[in-house]
Amino acid sequence: MKTLLKLAWRNLWRKKRRTFITVSSVMFAVVLAIAMMSLIEGTRELFVESVVSQTTGHLQIQDVMYHDEPSMDHTLEYGEEVYSTLEKHSDLIDYTVPRIQGFCLGAKDMGTRGVFVMGIIPGKENRMNNLSSRMVEGEMFSDNDDYAVIAEGVANLLELSIGDTIVLIGQGFQGMSAAGKFKVGGIIEFPMPEQNNTMVYLPLQEAQWFFAAPERLTNLIIMAENESNINTLAQNLSDDLDSEWFAVKTYEELMPDVLQAFETRDAQVRLFSWILYIVAGFGIFGTIIMMIHERLREFGILLSIGLKRAQLAIICLFETLFISVIGVLSGIVVGFPIMYWLNKNPIQVGDDLAEVMLDMGFEPVMPFSIAPDIFIYQATTIFIIAIVVGLYPVRKVFKLDMISAARK
Amino acid sequence: MKTVIKTKDLTKIYNSSVAPVKAVNNVSLEFGEGEFTAIVGPSGSGKTTFLNLIGGLDKPTEGQVIIDDTDISNMKESKLFDFRLKNIGFVFQSYNLIPVLTAKENVSFIMLLQNQAKEAMEKRAVEMLEQVGLSDKIDVRPSKLSGGQQQRVAVARALASKPKFVLADEPTANLDTESAFNLLDIMSRLNKEENITLIFSTHDQRVIDRARRIITLVDGAVSKDEAFDR
Repeated sequence: MKTLLKLAWRNLWRKKRRTFITVSSVMFAVVLAIAMMSLIEGTRELFVESVVSQTTGHLQIQDVMYHDEPSMDHTLEYGEEVYSTLEKHSDLIDYTVPRIQGFCLGAKDMGTRGVFVMGIIPGKENRMNNLSSRMVEGEMFSDNDDYAVIAEGVANLLELSIGDTIVLIGQGFQGMSAAGKFKVGGIIEFPMPEQNNTMVYLPLQEAQWFFAAPERLTNLIIMAENESNINTLAQNLSDDLDSEWFAVKTYEELMPDVLQAFETRDAQVRLFSWILYIVAGFGIFGTIIMMIHERLREFGILLSIGLKRAQLAIICLFETLFISVIGVLSGIVVGFPIMYWLNKNPIQVGDDLAEVMLDMGFEPVMPFSIAPDIFIYQATTIFIIAIVVGLYPVRKVFKLDMISAARK
Repeated sequence: MKTVIKTKDLTKIYNSSVAPVKAVNNVSLEFGEGEFTAIVGPSGSGKTTFLNLIGGLDKPTEGQVIIDDTDISNMKESKLFDFRLKNIGFVFQSYNLIPVLTAKENVSFIMLLQNQAKEAMEKRAVEMLEQVGLSDKIDVRPSKLSGGQQQRVAVARALASKPKFVLADEPTANLDTESAFNLLDIMSRLNKEENITLIFSTHDQRVIDRARRIITLVDGAVSKDEAFDR
């Protein structure tokens, strides 16, 4: 085998320029494919990170009916069963963020506006999404305060300012009406209009009283100690909580439509990267065809003097694999530092696009991921292509008529 | 003298698109150990086809090729590969060395395929290169050797594994006179020293003049079989 490998390796360098060009074509295809996949994965990571930290968390415990019918009647009891289950799995949990939330009507004088009321514990919310950093006026309440913090858009639409009173009317737990008036103690700004024009924050306990749902939550957000344990944690919590009352949802289950949209875009990019792979594959194939056809006579002689067809096929297959492996490794060696640099220094997007991205709650950058999967995927794909391309010389060797080949 | 190769009614017909061609026609011959035989005849007389048949590179349409009591005419390809590797040496018209291997590696190649011990193999390769007068070219690749030198390496390769016989298809055709004589001297000496049977197909009078047996083929059939005391 050592001799066959040696022969294959030396054969590769018979025509150095041709091998160099082929290796380069594979290398550039790998670098381009890595760049595309890195950007896609980076965008996805940024999006997930943003949504997870702003909205869903890693996991949520909800009432079993809440996901399909989000109403106050489908709140969960934040009591002994939940506490003891969280305690049992505390090694996998970083922290929890309790929320009670629902749509209400907000009013001041004659003006009314649909608002989204969210009862929160500010300290925990800050840990998750640094909510207080968005304050533009007044200050964030503490747990024992009884005033509201409203989004800037709500303040503008209802002409509210610090010290004014907002009246909230909604549906409480089990048919109770939720009605209350709250002093505005702070104004907060969100980049996304959807949030900026609807959010009203109340201290958790105050919101629970408002919704007539003491000790109840619409969702208990859980941030995992380690992201790789999210599914394990979800499974453990599901196993220990009564499935008749509680449901445990991962962020993927909480936003399936958005992730599906990402999958669709990923598929488009993968399709394009496969076009690159096919171009690289044909590059290798062209070289291999030339290498085989100009050596048919030599093959005939080698078979005549005693080399077995299988041994000759192995030599040819190794030649293909060597070209591919060198190309892929060169691609990774060139691509990784570039992606690493782009990961640490993301490209800032232009003004208009930056505004759109900010509106959507994203940092206005083109993020590049350096997840190992990206590089492993490229290497594996090109390796598989090389095996497929390598089947041509193998077939050729097994079908070769050694006498006519030796006479060429 | 022990018979090494025996052909019985050996026939090879090529089915060309126009009409079948009898390249070898009912040839029955015997070759003894240590013979130095030239197969001669005009172009298209069947010399190379005959060599291919007795070398197990081609299958006869009819008849048998028996080498040391083994009939190789209908042997399976995989067994034939092993048989050729162990028993037959080949020298071709156009040197046909492996370009990416050095002279020593080329000479060792068949012994390597035979899984011979590395030390013995290298010793034998160096010894053979010395015998063909190329001890100073051991680590040189074929592209740096002249045509005559390459053919001497090919001869060393064919003889290194001590095959039962060596088939040489017009080995001097591409060589100048000096190189051809040089090569023939070497082959003639090795034939005597190693007692290896040598069978040439050739047009070359220089080879014919050295042969101790000359078989003339015409239209695939033996027209003359003469022995000389040289």
